[in-house]
Amino acid sequence: MTTDFPAVRINKGAGGWGPGLVVRVHGDRNIVLSVTGGDEHPVAKRIAELTGGRVVNAFNSGAPDDQVMCAVINCGGTARSGVYPKKRIPTVNVFTASPGGPLQKYITDDIYVSGVGVSNVETAEAGTPAIGDDGAETGQASQPPQPDGSDAAVNSTAVGEVKKESAFSRFIIKFGGAIGYVITSLLNAGREGVKLILNTVIPFMAYVALIMGIVNYTGLANWIARSVSPLAGSLWGLLLLGIITGLPILSPFLGPGAAIAQIIGVLMGAQIATGALPVRYALPTLFAIDGQVGCDFIPVGLSLGEAQSETVDVGVPAVLFGRQLTSPLAVLIAYGFSFLV
Amino acid sequence: MTPLLVAPWGGSQLLAIPLDVKSNAVMQGIAWFATHFIGLFKAAAESFVGLATGVIPLLLVLITFMYALTTWIGEKRVTHAVQWAGKYAVTRYTLMPLLAVIMLTNPMCYTFGRFLPERYKPAYYDATVSFVHPVTAFFPHANGAELFVWAGVSAGVLKVDSGAYARLAALYFLVGLIVILMRGLVTQGFTNFLIKRGGHEAVFQKFDEDYAQGQMERTEEAVA
Repeated sequence: MTTDFPAVRINKGAGGWGPGLVVRVHGDRNIVLSVTGGDEHPVAKRIAELTGGRVVNAFNSGAPDDQVMCAVINCGGTARSGVYPKKRIPTVNVFTASPGGPLQKYITDDIYVSGVGVSNVETAEAGTPAIGDDGAETGQASQPPQPDGSDAAVNSTAVGEVKKESAFSRFIIKFGGAIGYVITSLLNAGREGVKLILNTVIPFMAYVALIMGIVNYTGLANWIARSVSPLAGSLWGLLLLGIITGLPILSPFLGPGAAIAQIIGVLMGAQIATGALPVRYALPTLFAIDGQVGCDFIPVGLSLGEAQSETVDVGVPAVLFGRQLTSPLAVLIAYGFSFLV
Repeated sequence: MTPLLVAPWGGSQLLAIPLDVKSNAVMQGIAWFATHFIGLFKAAAESFVGLATGVIPLLLVLITFMYALTTWIGEKRVTHAVQWAGKYAVTRYTLMPLLAVIMLTNPMCYTFGRFLPERYKPAYYDATVSFVHPVTAFFPHANGAELFVWAGVSAGVLKVDSGAYARLAALYFLVGLIVILMRGLVTQGFTNFLIKRGGHEAVFQKFDEDYAQGQMERTEEAVA
């Protein structure tokens, strides 16, 4: 009975990708293939331990694909990340790589998870369907094998004969692994960064550039500068600006997306660039134009923090009234420090 | 011959329609419109190029490094630090928002409020949300959609004095921390005042007890 074997849930780790996988042993399909170099990877050992499968180190011996329950890889690039998903073998990457590269289309979230550490592997709830279940074999309670204390991990490694490696090659493998980890996380961070720039920053830039173009070309910029400079050019003006942005009736409307603060920020920057405003006024200005920050978002922000409805009732006016005081106060503090700029 | 038939270049007498742009109101209007229509978007395109070359390269490498850093540090370690920071007023409105914003970014940073008793949640939100712009001086990944509060002002400073730019970045960040501490304490005061004034004292007393209970269970779990 295949259902005698417990299902194991493998979640993504910090910085990882994918909603997670559930795997279990099905008859002969019981191998956790460790494709990480060196000894079997602890994640592979853990999966084998919880599922009742066995670890095979791909660098020591091969395994037929139809007996592989899942593959544990440490691939920072895109090659190995794609090879096993292409064969529809559930793939667990201990590095944080997200799908990319020539095999990207095979790396789907039903078969691939990344950033996995030992703590991300856990016994699934009874009845959780696993990859490869044929639908007929659910509903039967499965007993996880009791991990017997501290030496459980050691027991599970007894399956394959591990070649004894010299200290030197151990070091090389460890060193290589560390380098690989660093490079993978940087590469992945780059991918995330480009995504952020492309999806969030550049669209906003296009909008700002258009507004700036209109404002500059029509001469509106000069008009705004003439009317704002007296405000931004003196402590009293900045304080007044701080009071205005902190007005409880106004601040929730000034808030959304910081759209207004950002436009004013760009305009102020332009004024400083032309020398119309002294550089040191930049610091108090940054706080004066931002007195309303987040006032449009208070109930949402509080509920993200799992606040009770009573807390929201009290919290919204508390923040709004607090701002009336703290918004000009922030300008004053910043003005005090502005002499250091 | 009427003057209308005279072409601008003067020679030909055969043209029956006036082509003198300078003296025809309609053509003048069209020419004016065309020039300024293109001019407007050219000016916009110039601003775009300025932003794209001035902001994106630095931003991209900075964001890349910061993403990698947050991966290396790991959310779990930060959660521990955040729970510790939540205990004391000074760290609750400085260190806790700082870690939350850098690690979880806007808007997920507010979820760390769940580690606090109900009565501190509004002040924590206020302090945290007030840091989502100062943080962009060094950690632009934390609030990629709202960069231009900082980037707009600082771009002007960068043009005038690049030394002042670095000092401004450091001061915006540090003064930001001072401001959120002040803001957190003031809002905490207002929250307590409104709890008393609104007659919610009993309800929040209960919340505090529930929180203390939850803390104890958590500690027991940790021990066991």
